[in-house]
Amino acid sequence: MFNTSQVRQDFPLLTRPDSARQIYFDNACMSLKPSLVIDAMTEYYRDYPACVGRSSHHLGQLASQKVQAVRAKVAKFINASSEEEIIFTRNTTESINLVARSLGIKATDRILVSDKEHNSNLVPWQLLCQQTGATLEVLPSRADNTFDLDHFAQVITGARLVAIGHTANLDGVTVPISEIIRLAHSAGAQVLVDGAQAMLHQRLDVRALDLDYLAFSGHKMLGPTGTGVLYGKASLLNSLEPFLVGGDTVESVTYTDHKFLPVPERFEAGLQDYAGLLGLGAAIDYLSALDFSAIREHEYQLNHYLTSEVQKLAKFRLIGPEDPRQRSGVLSFYFDGVDAHQIALMLDNMSGIMIRSGQHCVHSWFHAHKLTGSARVSLAFYNTMEEAEQFIKTLTKINQIF
Amino acid sequence: MFCVAALVVFSILGIFSATHREYARRALDCVFRRVTLRPCNTGFSEQVRSQILARLLGRSVWAAKMFNKYFEVFAWIFMIAMVASTIWTAQGIYRYYLYGSCNGLNSTSFCAFDPSGTNNKVSSMQDSETCSLVNSTESDLTLAGLDLSLFPRQNESAKDKLVMIACYECDYSRAVYPDIAKLVAKYNLDFTFIHFPVKAGESETFMSAFGNCVYKSSPEKFWAWNEQMFAASKSDLDKPEFVATLASNLGLDGQALLSCALDQATLDQVRSQYSEAKTTKFYGTPTIFINGQAAVGPKPYRVYRAMVNKYLFF
Repeated sequence: MFNTSQVRQDFPLLTRPDSARQIYFDNACMSLKPSLVIDAMTEYYRDYPACVGRSSHHLGQLASQKVQAVRAKVAKFINASSEEEIIFTRNTTESINLVARSLGIKATDRILVSDKEHNSNLVPWQLLCQQTGATLEVLPSRADNTFDLDHFAQVITGARLVAIGHTANLDGVTVPISEIIRLAHSAGAQVLVDGAQAMLHQRLDVRALDLDYLAFSGHKMLGPTGTGVLYGKASLLNSLEPFLVGGDTVESVTYTDHKFLPVPERFEAGLQDYAGLLGLGAAIDYLSALDFSAIREHEYQLNHYLTSEVQKLAKFRLIGPEDPRQRSGVLSFYFDGVDAHQIALMLDNMSGIMIRSGQHCVHSWFHAHKLTGSARVSLAFYNTMEEAEQFIKTLTKINQIF
Repeated sequence: MFCVAALVVFSILGIFSATHREYARRALDCVFRRVTLRPCNTGFSEQVRSQILARLLGRSVWAAKMFNKYFEVFAWIFMIAMVASTIWTAQGIYRYYLYGSCNGLNSTSFCAFDPSGTNNKVSSMQDSETCSLVNSTESDLTLAGLDLSLFPRQNESAKDKLVMIACYECDYSRAVYPDIAKLVAKYNLDFTFIHFPVKAGESETFMSAFGNCVYKSSPEKFWAWNEQMFAASKSDLDKPEFVATLASNLGLDGQALLSCALDQATLDQVRSQYSEAKTTKFYGTPTIFINGQAAVGPKPYRVYRAMVNKYLFF
């Protein structure tokens, strides 16, 4: 059984005197940060606040070693073949844009996305297709919002790229990524996975999955904001066109020409958020020490309780499959005729329960389903059954006024 | 609608609280968006609504349910009530400035700016026969038929006329007399002074009689003596010698005036004056008529000035 009380001690926000009035259920948007991460960032600014990869003095060297060590940690965490396959970005959005802008998409290409993609994995492709004449196809989900693999198998032929979220932030549904990759590769298509919502809840093995590209953010996996990663197979990354260019992306420059550095530096233009990257490294250290199978079971127990209790409420409507095992740590719902923001605000005002409300950057899905938004509970391993019970108690009370 | 009402409420509360200042700022942003024909998508309304609902829900589910259901209706009611109360408050301020009372001239209803009602207090007159308070009201007050020639009077040819009914020993009369003297001097008013002792005591009657004698002796010096009577200590006014000394100090024959005050003819004149004064139906002192309009109680100077200048509109 997962020891929640022990891990909660690692998070400053959960050990404050008023922590009982702070129930954080918005982990799909932003995870909390353990002291380890905060300390790592502070350490950079305090002990070696130097440029990385540029300055030869001892502080510069120390900072460079530390950041390079983070790259190695990330590579190990997702089981990449080498550190060169890890590109540091600002977030998942930038990682996806990097691929979109560098892939060399042509008018004859087809790109497939699911119907539940975050705007970050939809808008870049929409824009790219508008500019190049390529075709963007949206894969419809099944009635219960799960991935329709049969339909996918029928339409994959001839596609250039499948850009898909591993776990949807809308409803927590995880797609059958192994099957998708297998079918895509069989059809000659590459696969880019938006792993932002997955990294806090499960380990992704890019080699075992044979993933082409994986994009994820630090802030959703205990790390700081402004940190992200793009994993790509070395052979693929080397074939990509440069994205952002400038300082630290070039080996040499004349007044008329330039020679780019190899990957990953080619894609890391300008001075980066080194403190953030060191925080990301600390977050990966922390996550690496956790038992993810225990985490999954813990989050399931919480989500099972929440799901079974909220379904007793009148007007309650669930988004996604009823089985909480299929929804990671997410419970996305709405009440007929009730503004989701009002539910979220009242939960916060009454019991300090923080959830997300609105369209969760998946406007396309809500527009298609003619819904104004939903209230979304997203759990993490540090959430407790007591917090879940308080949520149900408060929501039941709120439900009385509708 | 909610944003407009919230802007006003939070702006007022913001004077005392930084938290409410932030709310006021957000409400202003919301209102500004609305007047520039943009959607108010700041979530401000929802946030305040939820805070109120959360508190209500802790006390009464029914109340919270009703509030939630009729939120817009409540917002409109609140807005209308606020506009009405703003107009009412502005009218109250205007009236207080001009009349000394939020509710109009001589109104004794509660006024926040004069909570003790000082501007309308009078030394009440008693009916000497029944010992009860005189049963008349402001609307009964009139100068019609009053023979002003019976009383001390100055500057009779002036256009604006002021008649003051007061008594030397009454606190409110004493409080207002300096302002009246100042007003008369500044605007050169036709001023008639009626001394009426509301308690009808012997010493007060004496003072009326003595005043008549002073006026008969020297109309010019009467006004100086009169002013000194209001300025003197109340305890001294009971002493005929003191009253006579005040007259002597003005160059009058104090002893002769004392004799005059005790003369039966003078006392008859006093009774005649009292009887004539009662025709005004006044019920306390000071009562001051300016161009026929009565002001009961010691008003601020600006009120009398406005009455002379005819600044009173409603």
